[in-house]
Amino acid sequence: MTNVNIESDEEWSYDFLESLVEDIEENRNIMQCISCGKCVGECPAAKISNFNIRKIISKVLRGDRSVLKDSDIWYCYLCERCKRVCPKEGINIPLLIINLRNESFKKGYGPKYNDLTKYVDMASRFLTNGTVLDDPLDGELSEDRVKELDKICDFARIKYVFKARNANQQKDSDKEESQEKKESEIL
Amino acid sequence: MKVNNLAIDIEKIKEEYPENPLEFFKGKRLCLFKACLEKYFPGVRFGIKNLCEALDLKVNICEKQSCCSGTFFQRNLITRAQFAAINERNLNEINRQGDILLVSCNGCYNSLLRGRDFLKTPEVYKKTQEILKGVKEEMGGEKYPGQYEILDNPNLRVMHDLDFIYLIRESVINTLKYDLKGLKIASHYGCHYLNLDRDRDTETYLRDKRKLEDLIELFGGEPVDYSEREACCGWGASQIVLHPGDALKTTYSKLKSAENVEASFLLMPCPTCLYTLSKPEFRDQIEGLFEERLDIPTIHLNELIAILRGCEEEKCIALRRHSPRIHEIYETITKE
Ligand code: SF4
Ligand code: SF4
Repeated sequence: MTNVNIESDEEWSYDFLESLVEDIEENRNIMQCISCGKCVGECPAAKISNFNIRKIISKVLRGDRSVLKDSDIWYCYLCERCKRVCPKEGINIPLLIINLRNESFKKGYGPKYNDLTKYVDMASRFLTNGTVLDDPLDGELSEDRVKELDKICDFARIKYVFKARNANQQKDSDKEESQEKKESEIL
Repeated sequence: MKVNNLAIDIEKIKEEYPENPLEFFKGKRLCLFKACLEKYFPGVRFGIKNLCEALDLKVNICEKQSCCSGTFFQRNLITRAQFAAINERNLNEINRQGDILLVSCNGCYNSLLRGRDFLKTPEVYKKTQEILKGVKEEMGGEKYPGQYEILDNPNLRVMHDLDFIYLIRESVINTLKYDLKGLKIASHYGCHYLNLDRDRDTETYLRDKRKLEDLIELFGGEPVDYSEREACCGWGASQIVLHPGDALKTTYSKLKSAENVEASFLLMPCPTCLYTLSKPEFRDQIEGLFEERLDIPTIHLNELIAILRGCEEEKCIALRRHSPRIHEIYETITKE
């Protein structure tokens, strides 16, 4: 369905949208989009990058799954401005973006863990002290409470990020050790 | 089951207590939500706590509360059901010790309401229930009835600090020692206050929000308008971390626009926006990118209230020694 000129109804293909809706019913309302562009006019991401939410919506409505590979979907501020200015009821663009990013992750197109360095730190703090910072203002959560959060996050990406970091740290410390060993051998 | 998003009904309080809305809060237990970024701005917590105590209101903090986890949901690191489960865990604990939850951060506020909103989707509700059941098993049962259940029509209500301060403004003014005379002040609301529709009807949702400007006027200052008033601070759900070169353009435009109208400082109701708009490293990066040094000071409403109440500088703007010209603002306001 790529390279289509969206002049007539035949250009639309809702299979892709249906697959997104399966997960999040609210995304169904995207079908109501009249392509007025109000959202783009008010969008902070559009002001500083090539991010164009109307184009993204149009791709989704044409069934063009290449949108999952577009780096653009990672530029949305999730600021909800578009929701406020959209003349149609119930179009939830930030939720659509989160859903598209999820699909992109699932297909392996999303940002790699290396691009998420900051999140790796935040994820590990959350799963060890219950906040996103070291030495939180009110102290760390008790072990029991952290255990509850850890259980809630079972099978979530946050855990893979956390594990990937631990594995990397292990690799780094192994590397350091063998480097030290080499150096001591040289010395 | 009908899930309520727990936003407090401000209109109802105004109807029931038209003379003095503060009366509504008397005798109620107010719990202060711990926003992670308050660590960098302890004056934000201090300001609201100190104000409540001065008004003879009972305040507490919930030790068992975790981060709202909004940042992980926004980065697709947890699902909607996991996000809702983290939220329910927090609300459940807070509900035991508070009647009203006051929130100083737009991000946390949005998360608290959004987590409840997600439960309106039956599938998410079911998954959240299953997750909490798993936690209950893992923890070997509950310490109190309903600990690991979705809250069914709880007593607790959630309220943003700005809405709270605004609602009781006539009482707040009586506790202030200083005013804002001679100061021109620009307001920044932040996207997740400005664009939020969950707790508002369509009319107030679309209408200009002017609570900060009204408070500035009430405190004797002059609110000034600027072209980027409704613009984002640049945080953009971590865009400033992921694409700093781009996101800082947003921050630059915002600060520059407020400087252009000669605002003495920028007032806001959110520590995440405050972090973005005041962090010295971001100001340095902006100077590198745009060859212009911007030194407009920034301040959270709760910090400002503490200054106006005559609290010690160390308490009001603790840890902010490196924020641009913040000391100067403190000196100007507190000059006898
Ligand atoms: S404002 Fe709403 S209707 Fe208009 S293009 Fe954007 S999403 Fe579509
Ligand atoms: S939520 Fe995303 S698409 Fe909507 S206005 Fe904000 S940046 Fe633009």
